[in-house]
Order: sequence, then C-alpha cells, then structure tokens
Amino acid sequence: MKISYHLGLLSVSVLVAACASSAPSPQTDLAAVESPAPVASSDPRVKFKDGERYLRDLSANLQIPRDEICKELSQYDCMTDAFRIVLGGVEAPNLLVNDPIESAALTSPIALDRVALHVCTNRVKLDQEKPEQAVLFQAGAFGKKDKAKKPDPAWMHQTADTIYGSVLMRTPSEQEVQNLVSFYDQVRDGRAANSKEVAADWVTLSCFAVASSLEAVFY
Amino acid sequence: MKRNKTNTGMLAALCGGVAALGIALLAPNAPLAPPANAKPPAPMAFCHAYPDAKACSSGFTDCATCHTTPPARNAFGLQVEANLAPGLPRPLSDEAFLKYLPEALKAVEDLDADTDGFSNIVEIMAGTQTADATSVPRMLACAPEDKARAAGALWNVCEYDPAYAYRKVHLDFCGQSPSRSNMDAFLKVEDQNEKLNRIGQALDQCLNSTYWLGKDGVVWNMANAKIRPAHAVKSGDNPGPVPLGDYDDDYNLFTWANSDDNDVRDLLLAQYFVKRTSSDPVRLEQVSETELAARPRGTKQPVPEEKRAGMITTRWFAAVHTMFTAIPRTTAAQAYRSYLGYDIAKMEGLHSVSNEPVDYDAKGVNAPACAVCHATLDPLSYPFTRYNGISGNYTYNDKRLLDYVRVDGAHVADAPASGMILGQPVSDLREWAEVAANSDAFAMKVTGDYWKLLIGRDPDVNDQPEFNRLWRGLKSETTYNYRVERMLHDLVLTNAYGRP
Repeated sequence: MKISYHLGLLSVSVLVAACASSAPSPQTDLAAVESPAPVASSDPRVKFKDGERYLRDLSANLQIPRDEICKELSQYDCMTDAFRIVLGGVEAPNLLVNDPIESAALTSPIALDRVALHVCTNRVKLDQEKPEQAVLFQAGAFGKKDKAKKPDPAWMHQTADTIYGSVLMRTPSEQEVQNLVSFYDQVRDGRAANSKEVAADWVTLSCFAVASSLEAVFY
Repeated sequence: MKRNKTNTGMLAALCGGVAALGIALLAPNAPLAPPANAKPPAPMAFCHAYPDAKACSSGFTDCATCHTTPPARNAFGLQVEANLAPGLPRPLSDEAFLKYLPEALKAVEDLDADTDGFSNIVEIMAGTQTADATSVPRMLACAPEDKARAAGALWNVCEYDPAYAYRKVHLDFCGQSPSRSNMDAFLKVEDQNEKLNRIGQALDQCLNSTYWLGKDGVVWNMANAKIRPAHAVKSGDNPGPVPLGDYDDDYNLFTWANSDDNDVRDLLLAQYFVKRTSSDPVRLEQVSETELAARPRGTKQPVPEEKRAGMITTRWFAAVHTMFTAIPRTTAAQAYRSYLGYDIAKMEGLHSVSNEPVDYDAKGVNAPACAVCHATLDPLSYPFTRYNGISGNYTYNDKRLLDYVRVDGAHVADAPASGMILGQPVSDLREWAEVAANSDAFAMKVTGDYWKLLIGRDPDVNDQPEFNRLWRGLKSETTYNYRVERMLHDLVLTNAYGRP
C-alpha cells in the first residue's frame, strides 16, 4: 500500500535523524517550541511527491532548470538515472518495474536527503557565483564593512522568509523564522560568526531543512 | 506452447495448493474433518447479495470473508454454513450453494460472529472483518470543537479543503505545485463555487499537459501493467535486438481512450490505431487504414479491422501473451485482469461454466484441482483461439487451430470460437469485448485505477458512496458516458481527494 511507503519513509527518516544526533538540527528546536497541536486528520491520505514532482517543484521554485538541478557525479540526473525506482518512479520496458514500489526502500529517505542537499548546495553555489541573480543567498549578510559579529538580523529574517517562500511557497510563521535564525549558532560551531562561509552554510542547511521537511516531500 | 504449459501448471498448482494448504494446517492427529469445500463462485455470489459492501468494490469479496485458510471457515463462515440449506447432503453442488447462499447470509445478518459489538451486516457494509474482533467500523466525522479549529488551520482536515485540492490537482496532473502567486490568488477567493471552478480550470489545463498525456507521462505509465512492455522485443522506433511488435501503438491507444472526449470502452472496442503527431503539446490522431497497411513489416497490425478489439488484439498483446499457444489462456487471463480487475490466479472473477473445461489441447486442465479455475478461464479463452501470436504472424485465421493438431492433438481443432464471459455466452472476441466493456467490472476497474493513482490507495470503507457514484456515473449516458476526463472532474471534488 502507498501508505506503508509513506510510513516507511517517515520511520527511516526519523531513524536517520536520530543517528545524526551530533549534526545541527533546526527541527529539534522546532518541535520544542511548536504551538498547540493542530487537529489531526482522522483519515490522512498524504502521498509521497515522488522524485520527479519533487525536483520539478524545486526546479521552478529555486529557478534552476529541471535538467540541471540535480546531477549525481555531475552527470547522472538524480531522478531519471540515479534514484528513479527508490524515489517512486517506474521503468517498465527495461527493468520491468511497471508500478511505483509500494513500500519505501531503505535507501529512499537517504536518496531524498541526498537530492535535497544536492539541490540546496547547487542553489547557494550559483548564488555566490552570480550574486546579481541570487535566489537564496543574497548579499548584505554582514552590514557595512563586514563589521557585525553575526549577520544582520534583518537579513537573516529575510533569508529565512525567502527560503520558506521559495521551497514551500508560503510565508513562514514567526516561530519558523526564529527556528532558522537560532540555527545559525549551531552551524557556526566554533567558526567565526561573521564568516561568509558560515553564512553560506547556514543558507544551504536551512534550505535543506525546509526542503527535506514532510511538507516539502509529501502532499 | 511452453509458455502456456507453464502457466497452466502454475494455475493447477495454485488451485491444488489451496486445498493442500488447508489439509496441511490440520493437526497431525486430528480426525479428518467432514468434507468442506471452498466454493469458487462464493466471492461473487456474496457480492450479488451485497453489491454496495466495501468488500465488493471490485465485484467479488475476499476468501477471508468466510474462511481462515480455505476450506477451513472462520466464525462468520461457520454461522453461514449452519444456515446454508440445513438438512441437504454435503457437499452442496454449486447450483444449490448459489441458490441457498442469499438466505443463509440474510439469516446471520443480525448476529455478531466476532462478538465485537457490531452486527455482521453492519460490518459487511462498513467493510470491516466480521470474524475479527479487532476490526471495527470507525467514524471519520470531526467533533464540533475540532471542526471549528480545523477550519482556521493551514489544512482543514475536517472537510473538503479547496486550497489543498487545488495544489493537489497541480501536483497530480501537471507534476508540480502551483506558483506562489497563483496559490496566493486562489487563497484570496472567498466564494466557494469560484474556488471549485478554479480547481476545474486547473484540471482542464493539466489534463492536456505532457506530464499527464506525454510519453512516459502519468497516463502512459498507468498502462504499464496492462501492456507489459519489453524493450528487448520492441519494433518500430527505438527497436530492441529481437523486434516483434511495437507497443507504442498500445500506449497511444490507451492514452487516446483515456483522454479528451473519447470513449474509454475503446480500450476493448477500438477498431483503429492511434499515432502521436506532436509530443509537446501532445497530439494524437487515428491512423488511416492506408497508412497502417503501408507500415514496415515489423510494425504492421495484421488483424483485419472488423476483427479488432482494442488493446486485446494488437500485435504486441498477441506477441507477448499468445506467442505460440493454441488455446491462449494467458492472453485471456491478462485481458480479464487488466480491464475487468479479475485475477484468475487469485481465484477472482470465477464464473464456472457447466461441462467445462473440455481440455481441447490435452493439457490436463480438467483435473478437479485445475477445473476450479479453468471452468471459467477456458471458456474465456476460446474467443482468442482464432488470433495468432508469433506463430501465424499475428493474423486472424478462422482455421488457426488446424495448425496445432500435430502438437496438441486432433481434438484441439474442435475448440470453439465462442465462449463465455461474466456468465454470458459470446460468439466471438468482438462480442466478448462488448460484454466486457459494458460490464460493471470494467467501469469499476477504470475508476479504481484512477482512484488508486490519485487517492493513493484502494477505495476505503468510507469511500464507498463516492466511489460507487463515480463508477456508476462513468457508465451512465447522462453523467460521464464513459468519458474519463468528465469522471476526473468529479473525482477531484470528492472528500476522499480533497480532505487532508
């Protein structure tokens, strides 16, 4: 059943997240400050977006052409060539996979995380190469003459807002913005707070956190 | 030949296996139980009694309705048995079984086989297990206080949520979410009817997208399990090393019948073929007979126009299913499975025909263990016997079976072109296709395929009213009249689709 595919993905994601406890995790903070639980669906029918829909969404929202957005080893399309079956695709004529797999493969969440990180890294790299066309990592992080100890709070808020707007196509709640802003110190992790590299890493990992969220992956 | 023999053997093994498994489960020292036979017609007979039951959404219920491991009965099955023609000698004939089953079912409706507090009839209609106390009906309605809270949340999980459905339509049919400006504009709409109009407009737009209709698109991939492509033996564009047939013809016809204002029954009734004249935007056109005749050798469609029956008489279908077989049981079983949803290998859709199987090709299918299924499958297969596979070059030939006398014996030539499907006699494959295409099973299968694709699972207990309305609407001349796109417009407005 499709639902087991979803639950499989979720459970393995949780497992992966738990194993990576030393890694910075904005979602941990998110859970701690979440507002009262919304009404739960009595009959949830969420579906996995599948790799193609997922990449098409990110392609449109992050303004990277679909055929350039994610290339494994710089040459294999992440969905079509690399992770097609584990990300819910089919390949009937050669592999005889006529329908999407009904239960998530162990590698499905790993592949999805990899795709999300690929795409976000790609976007921030492009932003740094062509600042005038930047989408996520906009100039102005450190104010005048780079003297600030941390990026300008207004810039951080704006960036968090842009990430949500670009990846999930909605305005984030104040709490969601705060979660990403407070994540900056975890990303810095001993490095200079006003380093452009740290700021770029923060944007990349914030993008990854949002792009690998349930809201981005399921519908 | 080899292929058919293999499949026949598998079917026999399966049919026999059901009984063998039942015996194997008995404790070694237990006394032999009195003869008790699972009845192949039972799943369908049950659904004749309860056509609106959830378990009957595909036209037949599961063996587990009455059995643990057939022929052993569960608590509900035992109650039915006790009320089934008491006094008549066992085992009952199929005829007697079918005659007395409805009243036996009626007699146990108000009992509670699993003592879970819900009567058998309540559980049957709700789709929960009558013999499993942990399986009980549940309600989906939200409490009033939750309803108000959900209405103001990001997703309204208590009702049809137009914003959720709007986004879902874009993702399902166009392959990507609506743009932010598009979504923001939708959220500003206050009038409920206008919201539903916009969902319909988005659907119309996406139904013409390459993501939906294109090669390797959603509709294309829905046909994979029905067509079973294999590139190694593909002819035409991008051929494989041993080109036998071009399944692009099959995919194009499938897409055609499922799109625009076309009749989806043409999956089984079309006497034409379709080509793609443009990939973006997708354009499909019927191929003229002149053009068809002028095709290169490996891509011809040799069955004459008047003998064609849509997807089940294409060159590809004959190549991969009939192959070299006299009585093409695999071909018939695949057609029955793909277009009516009945998998005979799972003992689904059994309509035993008296005095069948005759076993014209001497395969041993009239052994009792095999006859359980072959009494349905063989009469289903006879109308395919005049259509050649690889041997005979995919042509239609009234005298085809004479070519098999040397291998299968003289009796094979006696196999008729007439047969039976869904309990109705048919004189040839065209009639077979007519009966199939106009059946409830076909409408349920078409609707069910889309339901599973778009909702993400088979129709659930609570989905039955909406699901039944859709497949019945597909059949109705005044509702969707076999137009898939019209049905989809209503499917995306169901609670099953639009309630998160």
